[in-house]
Amino acid sequence: MHEMSIADSMIDIAKRTAADNDADRITGLTVAVGEATHVNPDQLRHALEVMADGTLAEGAEITMETIDAEASCECGWSGEPPTVDGAAMIAPTSKCPECGSRTELTRGDECRLESISVPED
Amino acid sequence: MTYHHQRPPIRVPNLDYLFDRLPTLRAHRFGHDHEGEGEGVTTDVDEDVLAQFREEAEQLHERLAHEHGVFVVEFLGSTGSGKTRLIERLIERAPEDESIGVIVGDVAGDDDASRFRELGVEVANVNTGKECHLDPTFLEEGLDQLDLAALDTLYIENVGNMVCPADFPLGAEARILVVSTTEGDDVVGKHPLLFQACDAAVVNKIDIAEAVNADVEAMTADVNEVNPNMPTFETSAEHGDGLDDLSTYVQEIRDGGHHRDHGHGHSHGHAHDHDDESHHHSHDHGHDHSHDEDHSHDHEHADHDHPPATEDE
Repeated sequence: MHEMSIADSMIDIAKRTAADNDADRITGLTVAVGEATHVNPDQLRHALEVMADGTLAEGAEITMETIDAEASCECGWSGEPPTVDGAAMIAPTSKCPECGSRTELTRGDECRLESISVPED
Repeated sequence: MTYHHQRPPIRVPNLDYLFDRLPTLRAHRFGHDHEGEGEGVTTDVDEDVLAQFREEAEQLHERLAHEHGVFVVEFLGSTGSGKTRLIERLIERAPEDESIGVIVGDVAGDDDASRFRELGVEVANVNTGKECHLDPTFLEEGLDQLDLAALDTLYIENVGNMVCPADFPLGAEARILVVSTTEGDDVVGKHPLLFQACDAAVVNKIDIAEAVNADVEAMTADVNEVNPNMPTFETSAEHGDGLDDLSTYVQEIRDGGHHRDHGHGHSHGHAHDHDDESHHHSHDHGHDHSHDEDHSHDHEHADHDHPPATEDE
């Protein structure tokens, strides 16, 4: 359950951004969660609602987006990380489908506060 | 506590680009309908919260490795996988003059810390309370209890958890993930992201694999599927099997200065080159499978190889 600490950081960043823009209220938060993280979007939404309470972001509309994972390999391959159909579940792997060596994630391991909406005055 | 379920966002994916282009419309959709407040603006932030944690880890690495010359190894894995015992074994093997510290993360209690104290090393116990992993802030709490200037080596034992620590590196030069046969031989496939976030894997408790009906070979093969060329060690921390290999690996990282470069590939390549030469357990399994059908000789070799004793050394 580290959604709380992530939400806490996001609300801090949102408040800072609002202050930079001389806004005294935040009406919307747009958040993007990478597929290759362990962040649970539903829990993060809930955590953001809780952490926003009593702040200038209280009641802000929360929009959750998903960042698809992408990986690339030294052999030149890049694309969506392949999955392995194991006994337990379908798991993403870092095994290159072309050459079998280790790929590196180029996208999808992030969890961003994309934007905030503030009232215009 | 107030929840705001009364205004569910209306998502019409195909029209999103329209809203994105029309901030006024977007704000109108999301904003309160109070007079004079209907207009709003969207301000880009684009800040990756997880990147902040990674940066904090880089700063920790800078401070520990470069300012204080402390070599840091982190152990992760489930409660009961054998992290504490493995670290104890590495401490027992250390030269007399090596000054060692351990930071122990546990939700509650002092049990692991007491075990390390008995070995005469510096110990910082960090109770994470309701958090399920160590983050850089918790680590700071542990570092405050240690004399960094006096330390050569710092072992970090993370909270027993195989989900959350993946997103929270702590600046260690090696992250070693410990799984054990008692967790079921499908444990690797259940936690692919954590394997991908770590540098080496240990399959522990191989001495009781048969009793718990676990296929150690399948476990190391799974590691190689999920994270190719990951150095993998089959051990019995209790009885000593495989510990020489693990100890050598840790020593090689120390000697080679293979700084873990979070999220980038350079250091991985180096670590794997070493692995291919000296620790070929996981490597062997890959070959065994392909050779079994045609070459019975190879198969015999593989059998000799299998109880991963200390013949490498």
